[in-house]
Amino acid sequence: MASPRLLRTPVPAVALLVACAAVLLALLPLVMMVRTVWVEGSGRLDTVLDRPGLGEAVMHSLALAMAVTVLAVPVGAALALALRRPDLPARTLLRVGVLLPVLVPDFVLAYSWLRAYGKSGFTDDLLGLAWSGIQGPVGVTLVVAINAVPVAYLVVAVGLAARAEPSLEQAARAAGADAFTVLRTIVLPLLRPALATAAVLVLVLTLGTFAIPQVMGSPAGFTTITTRIYANLARSSDPAAFVEAIMLALLLVLVALAVVAPADRFLGPRLRVARTSTTEPAPTAAPRRAAGRWAAAAIGGYLLLAVGLPLVALVATALTRGAGLAPVPANWTADNFRSVLTAPNAEALGRSLVLSMLAASVLVVLGGCLAALERTRVGRSAGTLVMLTFVLPGSTLAVGLSITYGRWVGGSLLIILLAYLAKLWAFAHRPISGALDRLPADELSAARVSGASLLVAVRSVVLRPLAPALLAAWFVVFLTALHEVTMSILLYGPGNETLAVVVLNSAELGQVGRTAALSVLLTVLLLVPAGLCWWTVRHLTLTRSSRASRAILASPLPDEASRVG
Amino acid sequence: MSGEALELRGLSVSYDGAPALADVHLRVAAGELLALLGPSGSGKSTLLHAVAGFHTPGAGEIHLAGRRVASPEGGVPPERRGVAMVFQNYALWPHLTALDTVAYPMRRRGIRRTPARRAAAEILDQLQIGVLAARRPAQLSGGEQQRVGLGRALAAEPDLYLFDEPTAHLDTHVRAVFLEQLLGRLRDTGAAALYATHDAEEALGVADRIALLTAGRVIQVGTPEEVYRRPVDMWAARLTGPVSVLDDQAGRLLVRPEWACLDGDRPARIADVRFRGPHTDHHLETDGGALLIREPGPPRHARGDRVTWRLRESWPLPEPV
Repeated sequence: MASPRLLRTPVPAVALLVACAAVLLALLPLVMMVRTVWVEGSGRLDTVLDRPGLGEAVMHSLALAMAVTVLAVPVGAALALALRRPDLPARTLLRVGVLLPVLVPDFVLAYSWLRAYGKSGFTDDLLGLAWSGIQGPVGVTLVVAINAVPVAYLVVAVGLAARAEPSLEQAARAAGADAFTVLRTIVLPLLRPALATAAVLVLVLTLGTFAIPQVMGSPAGFTTITTRIYANLARSSDPAAFVEAIMLALLLVLVALAVVAPADRFLGPRLRVARTSTTEPAPTAAPRRAAGRWAAAAIGGYLLLAVGLPLVALVATALTRGAGLAPVPANWTADNFRSVLTAPNAEALGRSLVLSMLAASVLVVLGGCLAALERTRVGRSAGTLVMLTFVLPGSTLAVGLSITYGRWVGGSLLIILLAYLAKLWAFAHRPISGALDRLPADELSAARVSGASLLVAVRSVVLRPLAPALLAAWFVVFLTALHEVTMSILLYGPGNETLAVVVLNSAELGQVGRTAALSVLLTVLLLVPAGLCWWTVRHLTLTRSSRASRAILASPLPDEASRVG
Repeated sequence: MSGEALELRGLSVSYDGAPALADVHLRVAAGELLALLGPSGSGKSTLLHAVAGFHTPGAGEIHLAGRRVASPEGGVPPERRGVAMVFQNYALWPHLTALDTVAYPMRRRGIRRTPARRAAAEILDQLQIGVLAARRPAQLSGGEQQRVGLGRALAAEPDLYLFDEPTAHLDTHVRAVFLEQLLGRLRDTGAAALYATHDAEEALGVADRIALLTAGRVIQVGTPEEVYRRPVDMWAARLTGPVSVLDDQAGRLLVRPEWACLDGDRPARIADVRFRGPHTDHHLETDGGALLIREPGPPRHARGDRVTWRLRESWPLPEPV
């Protein structure tokens, strides 16, 4: 951990900025929601609670969250453990592949699954195999789980890098434990905090998930809290529906807090100091190639079925002339792409890009401010407050912001931007805070005693090593905002759609070919900057670490030898 | 074959094509402590890791107690090699108490929890840290942690101990206590040991024999006295302690600080004087070059003084072939 005095900057201005932003973006909307329920709901509460399907939606959300957690965390942990093996063939490729679902927007993944395994989908056309249950609870659970696996994988992989040093496993092997016993008695106990964190994170994210149940569940009548909020606000003018939506949004927060608060109490301190190690794990035993090949094959097969085939089906659908036709070359056409390249869609794309870039740029500053502030005594509570926005479901934030600011900026792009800022602040904060933690505390002091003023010292020795983290934070926000749909679809006004909203609306209208074409375009749009970001961050990090390794290589001779001679 | 605890035959190990060990031949007799002395990056750790079974040799073989355990085709997994290791960074498991850490190797041999813990408590008592049995690594000092690490190795009752710079992170005082315990316990067990270190004094003090390592190669093997008094080259000489080189009519001579003394038949000027407590280092400018003379007691001369000296012993530097 960097020392608290690392960034003893003029605190008040930064603190004021962060505090104002946190109050306006998160706290005030929550307060306004409670007030609205209080005012509008008095006398109407019975009618609200009696509305049909309410309890069912709540039960669905809870069951979905638990089922997804039970599925995604073990898979993510297994992936993290397998991908650490140095003897795994094609390891880099598989690592990128495992993270791919993060880059594919969740509604695109859901739609791809329908196109791959559903009625008149890919396997139906080619093999006559269609899975009728895909629209409904089982299909929704499966796809939400696949979407959550990378999150669990990342948390466990970070935990592995931070806690399970190779020498700990080597010590166990040398003490007589075989590979499986090492896993059981050393690695898994060390991973307990990471596994718990992954479970909490997946549970909370699943509670707030909207697009997958909307695309895969709603047609089959499977509702969740989030899809019901959307239905109440977008499709109904009943005042009871409005109150119910706000209550559901508040319920989401309460459930999320009920999960996070105790977990944060136990795990919080450990989570905050968790840091990634940059060293590649050393082998803990001579490699066994056969086992490595089996693991690689299993991971490859999983990726193929979960992501690869659905994306192929999506592209095939986009290229095929009509919905009922088989995806064979004779039926191929570019018409679907041509039909979506319209002026309104181009404008939607422009809005998405501008909004995402604005959100990313503002949040890198706000995230940096918060990360610096956290290291002072005043700022620690501010950090906790913003971390709470991480667990605020998008639906809740959207409802709260629209109640609070709707009368002035409702339906405009500004309110969507506010929603992005509120939701993604924590996303920007995390990588920057992590990089600050890794910054050796003495570097800044060394610059100061070498004659640099505070500003010069920060610019010359802090900003440069921080550059990869700042860039990563920018891109994380940019990419997430680009495919954000949960809040956008509740907040957009006529003529103000973002591209993601256009795709989701097109899917609801049943325009198969167009939806597929738009999904392909959106995914490519995400993959290009993501690849660019990956390359740049890697490049920046590599140049820095190679400098470090040169310094190690130049280490002096043994003491006695260099002293006399 | 009997009597050899460890034999390395032409062992080579490389990381991603970069050689870390090249054609190493070494033997460790039963009950013998062989020190591996070399600077960081010389391959000491790689050698230990290869013997433990964490690396596969690129060429050569490793034999433990007459049994071949590793060759380029593969080998016996670490847990079945009958070795125990003490790590530089202790490598204690954060989630286990000192007692359970020491009991761990016995549990792996199939001993039940209660008797394993009882035996572990005994080992901790012998190392004088019995009162720390319930503590986890985070609640222990460096010296205490390394003693737990030593206890864990002792509990494995191996035929060969591997020590990977176990004192590198310990303070001078703690280091002396730890070393005393290590050597005492090692003598009791009668097992052989490989002891990696970059500290010449430590290697000379603990080892029965010393192997000097540089850039992945063994350049000399011998008793501490042999490697100290008759180093094969300049590198070996500097690795094993302070040394001066004098140009003499006979050629280039290596002179250890205690091989020359003040007051004799040769003239010199004092270039520098350093008081070091038990002894004083006199840096002389002689006709043959700079010379370090170490004498007991406080300084007898000041910088710039004209003095005389004589040579009691020297070692002609072998000419490079």
